Amino acid sequence: MLDLPVVKFVFLIALLFCQIIGRSQQGFAFTRITTDDGMGLASNVVSSLHQDARGFIWVGTANGLQRFDGSKFIQFGTEKRGSDLLPHSGVSQIIPIGKSHLILSFPSLREFGLFNTSTYSYQKIAFHLDKPLPARAEFWMWNDSHGDVYLNVLRYGMLRFDRVTKAFINSRSFGIPAGWQVSLAGIHEDVKLKQYWFACDSGLVIYDRPSGQTFTRDNNPKQLPVLKHKELRERLTEVYLDKQRRIWVFGWPLAKNGVQDKYCLDPTGSKFLHADTAGINMGPVGYTEYRHFYETKEGDLWIYGNGVLFNFDKLNRRFIYTKNEAESESVGISYGVVHQMIGDRDGNIWLATDQGLYFTVHGDGVFSVVNLRFSNRTETTSITDILELPNGDLWFSSWGSGIKSIDRLMNKKQNYVYEQPPPGSWNEVLRAATRLPWSMTRQTGTGKIWIGCNMGVLMIHDPATKQTQYLHPDELANSTVRFITEDQKGQMWLGTQSGRLLKWTNNEMQVVMDFGTIIYKLFFDRQGWLWIATHEKGLYAINPASGELIQHYTAGTSKSRLFSNTGNDIEQLNDSIIVFGAGALNFINKNNGHVRLLTYEEGLLSNNVSRLRMDKNGFLWIITSNGLCRYNPRNNRITPYGRKDGIVLAEQASESDYVSQDNYLLFAGSNAVIMFNPDVFLNTAPPPDVTITDFKVFNDYLPVDSLLMFPQVSLKPDQNSFSIYFSSLSYMQRDKLTYYYKLEGVDNSWIKADRSFFVNYSLLPPGKYTFSIYCESLEGLRSLNTTRVMIYIKPPFWRTYWFYTSLLFIVALLAYAIHDMRVNKLLAVEQIRNRVARDLHDDMGSTLSTINILSSMAKTKMTTDAVKTAEYLSKISDNSQRMMEAMDDIVWSIKPTNDSMQKIIARMREFATSVLEAKDIELQFTTDEDVYDVKLNMEARRDFFLVFKEAVNNAAKYSHASRVTVKLALKNKKLTMLVEDNGKGFDVPKADGGNGLGNMQKRAEAMNGTIDIESRPGNGTQVKVSIFVD
Amino acid sequence: MNRFLSQKFRFYSFVCIALLLFVHGYNLNETYLQPFSLVRERITFTTFFEYLFANGLLRFRLPVLFIISGYIFALQDSQPHLSRIKKRVKTLVVPFLIWSAAGLAMTWLWQQHPVTAKAVAEAQLDQLGDNRPYSELSWGDLIYRWLRYPVSFQLWFIRTLFVYNVFYPVFRWAIVKYPVIWFSLMLLFWITMFNGLFFEGQGMLFFSLGIWLCKTNYRIDKKPEWFSHYLSWLFFVGISVIKTFMAFEFELYSTVNIWVLATLHIISVAAGVLAIWFSCDRIVRWCMRRKWFVWATAFAFLIYGLHVPLLPYMNRLAFMYMNHIPNYRLLVYLGVPILVLFFCIGFGAALRAAAPKVYRIATGGRGF
Repeated sequence: MLDLPVVKFVFLIALLFCQIIGRSQQGFAFTRITTDDGMGLASNVVSSLHQDARGFIWVGTANGLQRFDGSKFIQFGTEKRGSDLLPHSGVSQIIPIGKSHLILSFPSLREFGLFNTSTYSYQKIAFHLDKPLPARAEFWMWNDSHGDVYLNVLRYGMLRFDRVTKAFINSRSFGIPAGWQVSLAGIHEDVKLKQYWFACDSGLVIYDRPSGQTFTRDNNPKQLPVLKHKELRERLTEVYLDKQRRIWVFGWPLAKNGVQDKYCLDPTGSKFLHADTAGINMGPVGYTEYRHFYETKEGDLWIYGNGVLFNFDKLNRRFIYTKNEAESESVGISYGVVHQMIGDRDGNIWLATDQGLYFTVHGDGVFSVVNLRFSNRTETTSITDILELPNGDLWFSSWGSGIKSIDRLMNKKQNYVYEQPPPGSWNEVLRAATRLPWSMTRQTGTGKIWIGCNMGVLMIHDPATKQTQYLHPDELANSTVRFITEDQKGQMWLGTQSGRLLKWTNNEMQVVMDFGTIIYKLFFDRQGWLWIATHEKGLYAINPASGELIQHYTAGTSKSRLFSNTGNDIEQLNDSIIVFGAGALNFINKNNGHVRLLTYEEGLLSNNVSRLRMDKNGFLWIITSNGLCRYNPRNNRITPYGRKDGIVLAEQASESDYVSQDNYLLFAGSNAVIMFNPDVFLNTAPPPDVTITDFKVFNDYLPVDSLLMFPQVSLKPDQNSFSIYFSSLSYMQRDKLTYYYKLEGVDNSWIKADRSFFVNYSLLPPGKYTFSIYCESLEGLRSLNTTRVMIYIKPPFWRTYWFYTSLLFIVALLAYAIHDMRVNKLLAVEQIRNRVARDLHDDMGSTLSTINILSSMAKTKMTTDAVKTAEYLSKISDNSQRMMEAMDDIVWSIKPTNDSMQKIIARMREFATSVLEAKDIELQFTTDEDVYDVKLNMEARRDFFLVFKEAVNNAAKYSHASRVTVKLALKNKKLTMLVEDNGKGFDVPKADGGNGLGNMQKRAEAMNGTIDIESRPGNGTQVKVSIFVD
Repeated sequence: MNRFLSQKFRFYSFVCIALLLFVHGYNLNETYLQPFSLVRERITFTTFFEYLFANGLLRFRLPVLFIISGYIFALQDSQPHLSRIKKRVKTLVVPFLIWSAAGLAMTWLWQQHPVTAKAVAEAQLDQLGDNRPYSELSWGDLIYRWLRYPVSFQLWFIRTLFVYNVFYPVFRWAIVKYPVIWFSLMLLFWITMFNGLFFEGQGMLFFSLGIWLCKTNYRIDKKPEWFSHYLSWLFFVGISVIKTFMAFEFELYSTVNIWVLATLHIISVAAGVLAIWFSCDRIVRWCMRRKWFVWATAFAFLIYGLHVPLLPYMNRLAFMYMNHIPNYRLLVYLGVPILVLFFCIGFGAALRAAAPKVYRIATGGRGF
């Protein structure tokens, strides 16, 4: 048996089950994506592909640029501010440049543009050229390993994209000889030797970058053999150096009259490798153009173009043509032109064709998933059982065709079962029954193959001797042998269509039990129990030694009931659990008799299970009427496998199953066999991290790359309904992964995502949220990192806490201000009361005391000393007069009606007039107009007036002046009062203050002002008071 | 300087350093705090509380420490500047070198055990962003970390203070001659967080203020008449609360928002310094009458030198073992700094008793 590497590779093999052995034809299982799939492909004409660093597939279609994330296509074409309009036109090429830019080619518009994959902005690329481009110019972009992007313009020359000016400019010539023309796509960079190869109309051109030299057939100083061939001198169109450094050159020489030459040369270029082009011309019909090469990481070479799709078969060392199977085959490819092929990060191959986008799984050329189809007969070929011989040959029992066999390279192989004919005594019916086999088993001890057939015919074939023993035991009662198996003692057990359970022991057939219904399967478990699957009678377990019935399960009404009484297959999950495929999956605990069902509702593909088979890893593989799936007993999860995985014939492979020596699983049935290594579906590495593919607010997609560049996505208050799209950008694993997400702030626990790859959140209140997502592989491995997106829905400012607290702060400030005002007011009242009390005490109290004393003294002298009494009374009168005046001043100063400056000035004028007139002193009283606008508080008003009063009184009493001048002025917010007389003056320093100078000083200071008294004997007196006012 | 002012200086030096532990114990997802740092986490009691304290209410510490430093340095003008600088080498430079090396040694020790190594790695303390084990770094890398970017990042304060002391004559001259211009410039440095080589702009304003207060004999030992308890506490707490809410609710990457937060920071710090300095005289007197408190204040410098990197590592260790407990982040924030504080005091007492000479050198003679 071959030791097959664990690499997924799909072959479809149409196996000819007729007598003539033909060559098997291999092919890939393509998955087609079209405009009808509902994923949003804009056009079935797909011209260009590119996978970016994050894993998105960028697709250039006839209707513009799209991005594919595995589940949907996003169209780009809307106009953005500051961006040019991205046309909805055919994108023939997508060339990456830098980390986040693509150069797009729109040939029908003769337009090239720079597309930013992060911001989704687009900018047209200008041409900075010396001469205009010709009208018939054709364009082909290519990039080299240095990151430079070139544009080959047919009938013009080579241009280079200048990153600074973002324009195409004339490039270096690469030494292309004058008059030579590089074919449109005939350019290849030899990264290893740092050379550029050009296929030109006059031969090959090799530009050596390190030396700057160019080699052609006319300039070949190094005598390069490849330049010497006559065959490579005319109308060359393609050139390619593969991983083996073979040189591929295609051309359209005139002499060949429209036939394309395809040459392969050895790495030295000296000789043609005709053998390596075997098959390259076989297959295509009609006009073809072999245009492009694609080589996988593993070195598998593809050639494709117009009507052409070839891959090189390493096993057979020839090219295999994949034909255009227009709409006939579900796994084939329909194409007129294959425009581009790329390989994604998982090794899948993507094809851009004029009839849709395709992809196929791929490996290194040795298959691990095989689909065999028997399609050369008009009637159905039913494979009823499978058997593997120790040498790895596979035998198939075919209802009507007998026993067929193939080797592990899928080549048909002769077997000798029918070498020896049936006994001559057998009638036609029995003879025919030998071609109607149903079951096979290899007897371990003898190596003989037991083959159960129709009509109770039993064939025992010895591959060693190539002898076949034909039996027709009476015990089989002419009934088809439905199943043959061997117990641990080497005894053969048989189950028949009529329901008999038989045992072959001591060369004798014994009827053990008769169930009276079809026996579909006999199964010995690890403890040696024999389980019997029947038609409509449920599942039996018997003791094979005694024939005693141990357990019987049916679809009755008991708690431990089966889903159905009819079951096709039995497997053992572990020491205690038997799995019975009866309709759904029935998990039977043989220890306690409990039955647990796993049905369609729990994820099973269908409630019609046909076949079961455990693999070496402990997974249970299940064929249902809806395809193949796998049950993981560790997490109780069902995983479907289909065309994307290379499994294309599972629904038909429902009749038999087998596990080979190298642990391949085989399922077979009507016209179909599938064989695969279950390890290819086993991922031991953790799945890739989940990518946020799109962020949609209401119906608008936001540029997710730009959004995710920031630590958080900030949304306006009304942008509170959004959808987050996610996916693992591994197109191989994507559908097999289970995604778990949580929006912290909304979801309390992880939520298992459905298959729609997006989640909606509606009308979220403002706040901060963290969307977290991870994925889990079928094996329960979790992605290394949890992908997180922080989302902040901004509240309107009036609903923020900072606004609330600011309001509180302002309220606290206002409260303080109000409190302060109240306190000040109370203080002011208190101050007034104190002042009045003090004034009353100072001015009234002492005077009243004086009056009291004087009146007492007058009273005592009244009878004895009239003169003294009169003097006392006079003093009492003076004091009373002064007290009245003081009282008048106090009352005047308190009275609010006197708050204005007019009132103050009027009182000052009145006072001065009355005092000075009595002394016959002339008064000049002048006031600036501005003074009337001055506001003085009560205290200041009183002090101001009293200073004035004191000054005027002094002038009246002591100055002996003939004139007193009073001036009130306001200048620079300074109120000035000047009282000036022309009297006798006095010596200021010598003044004792008894005339009120000290009081005036204090009052001026109380007003935060100054007082300046200037006087000299004989020169009059000048009192100047200055106070600052607001 | 009267006795009470001296007590106040000692009290606030100790309290500011003790509270430093609650700033460096901040344990939200992003631990590096700037005045205008925004929080990307949801607002919860824990996140709000930690940010309010670490980046709001406790922000008065450094200004107070710098004011005290400036004031005390200005008091000693009678001594020759050179001799004062020589003394500062012993009291600032030598401790810097010792505690920076101690931080490196502590980190290396923690890296030797898988569990503690994990705590070190998760603390992400390396100022150069290279959190590889020290065994993987070159000697050059280690020396660079020792002198320029210590893992005990709080040592920038004494390094900066030394630089200020060296340039003290310039400070004094400018403050005396051109106070308005100088303080305007210093205010600008503070607001813009100007940083030259070893010349941290954040402390210059307050160091200058300390000098000015000393030189003008401003009575800082009693409450001025213009001081309002109500207003200073209102602005201190109120603005800190508003700023904290803004830090959670403002949008990232907005220059306007940064300026708003920076402005609020300035107001709250200014108000906080006044409120804390002039409102706590009774507490100061009460504490400074307690022998145990006065004894503990002697270890202020040791707490300062030792708490980082110990505290961040302890935090991460506590996270590992407590993350299943509800509100574990808040518990860690409140509990671990206290634990580290007691450890530092205990360690300091033990070291002083066992090796007084070493203690003297390591603390620059403080605490005797």
